[in-house]
Amino acid sequence: MARPVVKKEFSLSDRVYLIEIIKGLGLTWKHFLFNFRACFRPGPHTVPTCWQYPEDLREIAPIFRGAHMLLLDEKGREKCVGCGMCARACPAKCITVKRGKVQEGEEGKYAGKTYCAEFKIDMLRCIFCGFCEEACPKGAIVLGQEYELAEYTPEKCLYDKARLLANYEKAKSEGKLKPARKPVPVEAPPPKAAPKSKPKAAAKKVKEKEGTKQA
Amino acid sequence: MEGWGIIIIKIVFIWTWTLLIATLMTWIERRGAGLIQDRLGPNRAGPFGIFQPLADGIKLFTKEDIVPEKAHKILFALGPILFALPAFSAYAVVPFGDKIVLGGKEIILQVADVSVGFLYIVAIGSMSVYGIVLGGWGSNNKYSILGGLRSTAQLISYEVPWGLALLAAVLLYGTFSLRDMAFAQQGVFLGFLPNWGIFKQPLGFILFMVAAYAEANRVPFDLPEAESEIVAGYHTEYGSMRLGLYLFGEYVNIYTLSALIVTLYFGAWNLPYVDMSKFLGPVAYGLASFLVFFLKVAFFLWLFVWVRWTVPRFRYDQVMGLGWKSLIPLALINLFITALFVQFTA
Ligand code: SF4
Ligand code: SF4
Repeated sequence: MARPVVKKEFSLSDRVYLIEIIKGLGLTWKHFLFNFRACFRPGPHTVPTCWQYPEDLREIAPIFRGAHMLLLDEKGREKCVGCGMCARACPAKCITVKRGKVQEGEEGKYAGKTYCAEFKIDMLRCIFCGFCEEACPKGAIVLGQEYELAEYTPEKCLYDKARLLANYEKAKSEGKLKPARKPVPVEAPPPKAAPKSKPKAAAKKVKEKEGTKQA
Repeated sequence: MEGWGIIIIKIVFIWTWTLLIATLMTWIERRGAGLIQDRLGPNRAGPFGIFQPLADGIKLFTKEDIVPEKAHKILFALGPILFALPAFSAYAVVPFGDKIVLGGKEIILQVADVSVGFLYIVAIGSMSVYGIVLGGWGSNNKYSILGGLRSTAQLISYEVPWGLALLAAVLLYGTFSLRDMAFAQQGVFLGFLPNWGIFKQPLGFILFMVAAYAEANRVPFDLPEAESEIVAGYHTEYGSMRLGLYLFGEYVNIYTLSALIVTLYFGAWNLPYVDMSKFLGPVAYGLASFLVFFLKVAFFLWLFVWVRWTVPRFRYDQVMGLGWKSLIPLALINLFITALFVQFTA
């Protein structure tokens, strides 16, 4: 329904405009005064809408998708088995994984039977979608809260395994590890009699028929 | 008549002072804009960002000076100069205080007390449009030329109510000299109001204010450089210090206009009900008059910034309509009433 255009009749004080300007000046003055006072308050984050970046960092949600890390399990073993699922899931194709077999005597280091001999993420291409994290069967790769990722050379943005493990150590020491993911409740599949794709009216008819039969 | 030395000292003083104010205004405008819009504005260079204009100056000076290939080289170079020069020279006849008595010599705080100071201001004020038009024309850019044309039409339209409002003030004070106008505003009016121009010429003051905003190309009359319509108007093609001159000239213009408003309508250096010269020494009085004058001017400088971030820009036809259909008739009525008033009270 289109609404009819109602032309507002302006009163004389509206048309003179000066009164309206003075009202507007009052409004902007309120904002100015509020923020002006806020500037002199001690503390880094005084003006509510402004974060003064280097001193005044925003709070990051625990499930934020920042720099990646490779997790260790509770025994201090690398969780990653080098299956390459993350590399396949990655839409930006920026993960390179090479699998290696765990030799005898190395079981204390790796959780699985295989491990990743090489693990590289090209952070210049990564779009921080978090698909790698979702795809990993072992929960070995996780996106952390670190977001200050600028470097002076492109080579430094190519994260290797050592760096990814170091990210984990850092996050652990700062207490910024991601909380465990809640299991997603799986719904029971709908009965086959009324497929979802059918229009509602048709579905109703089917139900009615069934109802009559039962009666 | 004062010696040459004193005159040169005064010129140098007012020149540096105006430059300082214009420089500070660039910073105040941006911080004011920020605070009004719930932001912070430039606050990194120095305490509260006060050295930001310095950093900007260094940047403007060291930037590459680009002249468009098809531009008219001479006009392109002349534009900013023609814009900034009148802006600076207009202040010559506007007072910045009463007088200082130093070693028995009386020094008036004004570069030149010209008896036709008023005419000088009007003449110089309309000069600055040449800078804009020539700059816009010489750039060989459609946005620039549009900005230049708009500015011409706007300045011609608003020069009329501006001049008529000034004329009413001249009728009232009976003098062309801005210094004498300041003297005419001492004492009280009707027994209780300060004897200021605004109480005798309220309509004239409003007209003059509105026209002054248009003269200075400030919001809500910033059509020559309307960013959302014609990129940057007449200075689209300008960069480095040439652009700096344009921006600077604008602030110098604002300073001169504010000083003019204070001189004409706000009692110049006179405080209401108090005669400072009675109880202050000659030097202290000179400084106090300068300070009082400057504080009044500072309010109007801030008003320019404040209005800029409050009022949206007018449409072009609205600007012309306001100028020709409202301001000029009102200015004529104002002039008529003032003439009657002067005739019957004299
Ligand atoms: S976050 Fe997305 S783009 Fe980045 S590595 Fe993981 S899957 Fe690839
Ligand atoms: S991080 Fe996960 S998905 Fe990627 S290789 Fe290791 S175990 Fe496989």
